[in-house]
Amino acid sequence: RCWQNRRARLLCMLALTFLFFVVEVAVSRVTSSLAMLSDSFHMLSDVMALVVALVAVRFAQRTRATKKNTFGWVRAEVMGALVNAVFLTALCFTILLEAIERFTEPHEIQQPLVVIAVGVAGLIINLLGLCLFNHHGAGGHGHAHGHGHSHGGRQHPRGGPKSEQPPGDGELHREETSTLVENCSSSNGVSQEKLGDMKDDMSDVQVNGNAGHYPLDEEEVEEDSSAQLNMRGVFLHVFGDALGSVIVVVNALLFYGLWNPCPEDGPCFNPCVNDHCMENATLSQALGRANKSEQEVITVAGPCWLLYLDPVLCLIMVCILLYTTYPLLRESALILLQTVPKQIDVHSLNSKLRTLEGVEAIHELHIWQLAGSRIIGTAHIKCPDPSTYMMVAKRIKEIFHDEGIHATTIQPEFASVGSESGRGKCELPCRTQCALKQCCGTGEDSTAKKTEKSSSLSISCSEVVIEFPKTRRTKSESIPSVKLEANTDQNEQFESSL
Amino acid sequence: MLPLSIKDDEYKPPRLNLLRKVSGWFRSILADKTSRNLFSFLCLNLSFAFVELLYGIWSNSLGLISDSFHMFFDCTALLAGLAASVISKWRSNDAFSYGYVRAEVLAGFVNGLFLIFTAFFIFSEGVERALEPPDVHHERLLPVSILGFIVNLIGIFVFQHGGHGHSHGSGHEHSHSLFNGGLSHGHSHGNHGHSLEHKHSHGHTHGHGHGHSHGQDYCHDDHSLEVMAGSSKQILQGVFLHIVADTLGSIGVIISAILMQNYGLMIADPICSMLIALLIGVSIVPLLKESIGILMQRTPPSLENALPQCYQRVQQLQGVYSLHDPHFWTLCTDVYIGTLKLLVAPDADGRWILSQTHNIFTQAGVRQLYIQIDVAAM
Repeated sequence: RCWQNRRARLLCMLALTFLFFVVEVAVSRVTSSLAMLSDSFHMLSDVMALVVALVAVRFAQRTRATKKNTFGWVRAEVMGALVNAVFLTALCFTILLEAIERFTEPHEIQQPLVVIAVGVAGLIINLLGLCLFNHHGAGGHGHAHGHGHSHGGRQHPRGGPKSEQPPGDGELHREETSTLVENCSSSNGVSQEKLGDMKDDMSDVQVNGNAGHYPLDEEEVEEDSSAQLNMRGVFLHVFGDALGSVIVVVNALLFYGLWNPCPEDGPCFNPCVNDHCMENATLSQALGRANKSEQEVITVAGPCWLLYLDPVLCLIMVCILLYTTYPLLRESALILLQTVPKQIDVHSLNSKLRTLEGVEAIHELHIWQLAGSRIIGTAHIKCPDPSTYMMVAKRIKEIFHDEGIHATTIQPEFASVGSESGRGKCELPCRTQCALKQCCGTGEDSTAKKTEKSSSLSISCSEVVIEFPKTRRTKSESIPSVKLEANTDQNEQFESSL
Repeated sequence: MLPLSIKDDEYKPPRLNLLRKVSGWFRSILADKTSRNLFSFLCLNLSFAFVELLYGIWSNSLGLISDSFHMFFDCTALLAGLAASVISKWRSNDAFSYGYVRAEVLAGFVNGLFLIFTAFFIFSEGVERALEPPDVHHERLLPVSILGFIVNLIGIFVFQHGGHGHSHGSGHEHSHSLFNGGLSHGHSHGNHGHSLEHKHSHGHTHGHGHGHSHGQDYCHDDHSLEVMAGSSKQILQGVFLHIVADTLGSIGVIISAILMQNYGLMIADPICSMLIALLIGVSIVPLLKESIGILMQRTPPSLENALPQCYQRVQQLQGVYSLHDPHFWTLCTDVYIGTLKLLVAPDADGRWILSQTHNIFTQAGVRQLYIQIDVAAM
């Protein structure tokens, strides 16, 4: 049935839309109406959007890591959403341009009956599509990270044997082991495929089992939010199309009802179209008579405002579309920019980690969203010695899990013997190369050292915008003291490396 | 510690703050050579579009007006590239722990998408026009297209020093024909048909090249040029390629206009449109592939060969049992980030293993590493 699957839904809609496209092309050839042909190309762009979404869904189901894509193809859905949003925006611009053109030179609609018929058919198809995809978009905020708490898993995002089943969103997100390793017999090889195979074999050998393992059945319950993003893109596209159909139908109806066309025979004066030839000859006469009666020798074509109805409606539609597309665009772009996910407060995470006993400092804390609910975190943690680290590592992981970050990689750093205060100095600094591209490096405050260092850049960095205009968090003035030192010391390292 | 910048936003009236922001952006643009060039090219294109618009209004030619609108549309892509080059220089903050450096990749990708859409649009218009050839008024087409061609030539000379970007050490993937999200339009959208029934077909002589700088910046910390200029080498190359394609496009427009004028070959125009659309589409593919690879967190192609050797070397370290879960991905061009987990013996020297591993991977070109040490149970 068309209702169960994301993929099946997309395929249904794709088939319908493509069929309609073919119908429209045929009709346009028969009635030789160019407007119909251009509308059919709009339909074709719809088909393309659906294809993109479908491809994204197909790819995103391959969550197993491959050699080239160690994270799997999970991000495909976010990309699909972005592609759809961008196409929608481009489409809006095109429509805007056409509407402006229509303003300067209005058209009459030829054969409004045919246009009405085709428009209604398109509207029906689009409404059907809306129903299909609305079910997705509004509801279903299921999160897959509920399953993530089964310790003892080995690799993250692996579907294991279950991924081949129902169009698996919400794959199990087993997290890494803590310091004590339960299964030492995992492969020694590094190739991901081999690991994957072994993982399948071992999936039932795991310690602690998969206690929290929910069955992957109903899609409506366990929708990964990245899939939601993708579906939202499709929904918006269909929505835009539906709006377009509505406009076409309304316009054609009004036109059919109210417009007085120029009859084939007899002279006719059309005041709406700027035709220089007729102006001088007929203007005075036409205005002298009354207006809309058909029995006059010279007929005047119908009310001119009808011709401007089309572009006005188009403009309204463009505004609506842009307004609804913008959030989708923003959200997918933010994920791709490696933002910290909205629901995570980095400061509080930082302070929680720092208050742990045995943790001296935290460097290079990065948290980003792979797709949907898969959040990945990395950090360097400075500890006095390896045994403290082992004690503390488990608690660190738990803190991350509580926030919903299940794929973490923590690098321990041990204070060198005899260093005065272990605080601050990053033993193995990353010497991030991106600092070279950024104004004044990666610190959040511009210290004297930085401005000296960045003398090669001729900008005074204090004037370059520091805060992201729509920052969702507290400003970075309230920097915890340790982090401040850490950054400073990192800059020291940075300096020395130059 | 005295703050060097006093954030007295609270004291300043909001308008002034905006002014400071904008001036800050300008300064950022003018600081970097690439973005300076881009900015000037954007200004050139914008002025060309305005001139076309005014001329179209004055001579009441709808085709010219719509063509100028299309040029404005193209300028937005240039603007996106500039915006990306400004944004990617912002500092990292709470929400963006890596900073904004990915903005360039994203902007390149988005521009590539826009280009594909444009190519599709041109193709569809070409098909429409091939099926129902409208009246063509091509008197005004030729001078406009020649003007566009000249603008393109200017662009070629400006971005000539693009050369070839090299990445130090690691692979030379990036010196292939990256388009970096520029726009190339040689629309030969035929001419202005003023027939009442049909939609207008406009004469686009988008013989202008758009340079976009987003896309793949380079961190060259060696070579003769300073770091920032090193990063712009690759961008300039992409821009250069675009302008060349644009020039070819406007040459195509000129040829088709001549054909139509002298030989009456009306079919030349749609065919030209379609060919150009195909050309744009084909040229976008490498850029899209690379951007998609980066955005999908793919293992960097330049590291693919080196990584297995690194794994082997790490596993040969004393005390290391095995290596798990390696993930290497590109943050922005030439900046690679990696995470992996090591299973070590209980009595192994963690610090030594860590520093050795770091060295091994630093030699491969990965500077940002996160190595998790898991100690095997007895």
